[in-house]
Amino acid sequence: MRDPGLFTAHVVGDSWLHRTPFGAKLIGVIAIGLLPWFVSTPLPLAAVLAGLLLVAASARVPLSRLVRSLRSLAPVLVVLGAFQWWAVGPAYAARIVLAIMTAFVAAGLLTATTPVTTMLDAVVRGARPVSRWVDPEVVALTLAVVLRSVPWVAGAFAVVRESARARGLERHPRALVVPTVIQVVAYGRSTGEALAARGLTDPADHA
Amino acid sequence: MRAEPHTPEPAGPRPEVVLRGATVTVPAEAGPGRRTLLGPLDLVLSEPRITVIGANGSGKSTLLRLLNGLVLPTAGSVHVDGLDTARHGSDVRRRVAFAFTDPIAQLIMPTGREDVELSLRRVHRSRVERRRAAEVVLDRFGLAALSDRSVHELSGGERQLMALAVVLATDPRLLVLDEPTTLLDLRNTIALRRTLASLPQSVVTATHDLDLALDADRTLVIDGGSVVFDGTPRDAVEHYRRAVGER
Repeated sequence: MRDPGLFTAHVVGDSWLHRTPFGAKLIGVIAIGLLPWFVSTPLPLAAVLAGLLLVAASARVPLSRLVRSLRSLAPVLVVLGAFQWWAVGPAYAARIVLAIMTAFVAAGLLTATTPVTTMLDAVVRGARPVSRWVDPEVVALTLAVVLRSVPWVAGAFAVVRESARARGLERHPRALVVPTVIQVVAYGRSTGEALAARGLTDPADHA
Repeated sequence: MRAEPHTPEPAGPRPEVVLRGATVTVPAEAGPGRRTLLGPLDLVLSEPRITVIGANGSGKSTLLRLLNGLVLPTAGSVHVDGLDTARHGSDVRRRVAFAFTDPIAQLIMPTGREDVELSLRRVHRSRVERRRAAEVVLDRFGLAALSDRSVHELSGGERQLMALAVVLATDPRLLVLDEPTTLLDLRNTIALRRTLASLPQSVVTATHDLDLALDADRTLVIDGGSVVFDGTPRDAVEHYRRAVGER
């Protein structure tokens, strides 16, 4: 992982968004994620996206982080948007692209303005009713590892793509996929070992 | 020359690691049977500072991983303060902290503060207590100013120090370090040696850095999975240099 994006680390601050309880922010993110099912045109989604950008600015989340995160999502949006345009039409394509962007930015703002430890505490509290079957701390730790892994995997893919380009192999899917998968597996093993070494999991779990 | 002449005394007695016929084997790559990575080893490790030197693939890392139960012996036993690593893995890992060569492999959370707090989850259930305890740990290592920065934005030396703070947050009795200076420049290496020298914990370090190897009370030379020399750091380094020169 190279550049910090929205999902990499929380932005230290004391804005109104930082002070908003995690539960309220989570409800907001879920509501924004569900919004595309209730609107039939792209305009409301564009308005929500504009609103989220204002929220980001008022919470002093650096614009560079936002742009960096969206840039990594751009290839997916372009391919998806083009396909939907061809298959259904421009309005539908715009709705799909805007729906993904709003959900992505909303989730990014949540992670950027909430320390991971706060999220873990919330997950532990939320998982307490099922503690007879599953250890809430393990659920929380799993979430932490997932949050850590998403930008890492994206970063690993970017490095592999750069290496493939340097060797003139950028059009060979195997030159991109195989090294990325190997790196991800190695990363998974080293993460498991690091967790076990700190007594956070049992080594037998990752052997 | 050693970074500090005297090792600070811990609150309790020094931990003792006892290896009895400890052997690690893995399935052979070609054909049936098993390949021996390490052992059989009979050792008692109780000195405040122990270093382990040897070539790549000699078994140093495997020996280190035996000490906190990350690797279990396929034959024989390893006991830490009387606790069998095979049966009391969690208790052993509470006593024995392990720091990897690459600190980024060690750091799970986005920032150092959050990572220290993650370590402390086992000790403090209350969020407020955890936060307070994390502040103390970060202050002790002079990392308070860096605690809210992404671990990926820290320099190599800062990251290594943060990884140390993370594993030492729960006050283990023994710290095991696997080649801690490999990724560091000279300035950070010297800083790390000073930090290690100031720790009250017992420390076992595997290293290729022969200056760091001298910061010890006892040094083991490993070759082909066996301890080929066990003695004072100066004699051990001399033995290792001669052995490499003769090849």
